[in-house]
Amino acid sequence: MENPSDVSAAIPFLLFLGLVLVFFVAVSWRRHNTKLELAHRVAQDRAEALLKVVLTPEEYASLGERGYLEVPSPSQPTRTYCVPRGRGRVAVQENGLIVESLCVAPVEWLPPGDVVLTHKLMIEGDEQEYLRHANRYRLKVPTRPTAPVS
Amino acid sequence: MAVLRILSNLGDTKYEWDVSRVQQGDALAVAAVREAERIFAQQRSKGAIAFKVWPGRSAERLDSFDPQAEHVVIVPRVAGG
Repeated sequence: MENPSDVSAAIPFLLFLGLVLVFFVAVSWRRHNTKLELAHRVAQDRAEALLKVVLTPEEYASLGERGYLEVPSPSQPTRTYCVPRGRGRVAVQENGLIVESLCVAPVEWLPPGDVVLTHKLMIEGDEQEYLRHANRYRLKVPTRPTAPVS
Repeated sequence: MAVLRILSNLGDTKYEWDVSRVQQGDALAVAAVREAERIFAQQRSKGAIAFKVWPGRSAERLDSFDPQAEHVVIVPRVAGG
């Protein structure tokens, strides 16, 4: 058995060592988070720039004002999909009334602008495949569009 | 210039090639278009979906690589939430 006085003499040293370790972990964690934040910001800027390239100026302005992008159905002239810029379901309008909401998203994380673009391309280019993957929630009472369905 | 964009968590990654130089047989341009074709096939094998896009017009699904397409965007597959 060790001498108790030796053990008590080692305590301040161990505490100091622990504090140094905590300090280095905190610094590296902060650096890691800063890098992630920067990467997210760059990704979001790129996604926004791509939206401006693909959407018409009217579509882009409308997305900014309303918070969602209207994508007409290629198969049903009376149907429009309202794709929210942020979180939330895609609202389906029939003759101007929301009749259904869709829960569907890209399988990997994308910046919000790229999510909007993914919905638009899927609806325009392969609406049936898009609907096949979506979980569909029919509204009991059709409502007028105000904000994206959450 | 033709452009292929791959959407990912980093934003879009862009691959460009000059269609007219490819037609003239320019080695660098041919290499660039071959690389784009390889990336297209790799993404498709992962389940990603490609679309030809034009501003103001509806997108068109693209199941095989088209070196003449001016603007192609590849998106990850979607799933119900």
